[in-house]
Amino acid sequence: MKVAAPAKVELRIPRRAEFVGLARMAARWRAAQLDFTYDVVKDIELAVAEACNNAVEHVKQASCEDIVLCLGVEDRRLVIDVCDHGQGFDLSRIDSPDAQEGDAGGLGIPIMRSVMDEVDFRYDPIMGTCVRMVKCR
Amino acid sequence: MATPLKMESRIEEDGTAVLSLIGEVDVSNVSQAREEALKLLEGGCNKMVVDIAGVTYMDSSGLGMLVGLLKRLKESDGKLAIAGAVERVRRLFEITGLQQIFALREDVAAALKEVRS
Repeated sequence: MKVAAPAKVELRIPRRAEFVGLARMAARWRAAQLDFTYDVVKDIELAVAEACNNAVEHVKQASCEDIVLCLGVEDRRLVIDVCDHGQGFDLSRIDSPDAQEGDAGGLGIPIMRSVMDEVDFRYDPIMGTCVRMVKCR
Repeated sequence: MATPLKMESRIEEDGTAVLSLIGEVDVSNVSQAREEALKLLEGGCNKMVVDIAGVTYMDSSGLGMLVGLLKRLKESDGKLAIAGAVERVRRLFEITGLQQIFALREDVAAALKEVRS
C-alpha cells in the first residue's frame, strides 16, 4: 500500500556548515516524491544549500542558532521555505552580487534564481529572514 | 561532519601546482580546499591548475574559494586555470558569469598549457 506523503515537512537544523548536507538530503528526498527529473532534483538540492549557506555565513546574530527548512507541496508545486529566525543577511545585497570580491553570498543568489521558478526574500519579526523558493512540475 | 572531499596536489617540473579535488565541494569542507591551495601559494607557486574533474557537486562556497584564489594569484602576477569541470559544475560558472574571468579548460593538459602560455 502506498502511503501518501504529508503536504508539509519541517526540519530544524543547527545553523552550522556541517548540517547543510542534511538540508540537501531532505530537499532531494522531497523533490523526488514529486517525480522531478534527476537534474531538477539536483537543482532543488543546490538551491536549498545556497539558502542555508546564506544563513550560515551571513547571519550576524550569535543567538540565532537554527535554520528551519519547510518543504511543502501545493498542487504540483514544491514550495520551500528556509528561515533563520534571525536578522538575516543584508537584504540590500540580494541584487548586487560582487563576484570579483569572492563573495559566496552574492554568488549563491543568482544560482537560486536561476534554478528555481520563484525566489522571494522577506523579513518577518517572528520567523526572521526567510527565503521562499518554488519549483513547478 | 563535513562532506568528504579528497585532495591531491603535485608540483610540476616548472613549478606549476596542480591541485585535484575529488568529491563534493560545499560550505562544510571548502576551508580544507582553501588551506591546501594557500599552502601551495605560500610554497612559492604562482601558476596553478585546479583539477575539478572529480567534483560531482559544488556550490557558491566552492566558487567563492576559486575566486579568492584567482585574486591572490593575480596579485602576484600568477595564473590559474580550472580543468575538467563536469557539465553541472560548468553550468554554475555560466549562471554566475564566472566563466568570463576563469580559464576553464577540458582537462589538466589543456589547463597546464593555458597557465604556461
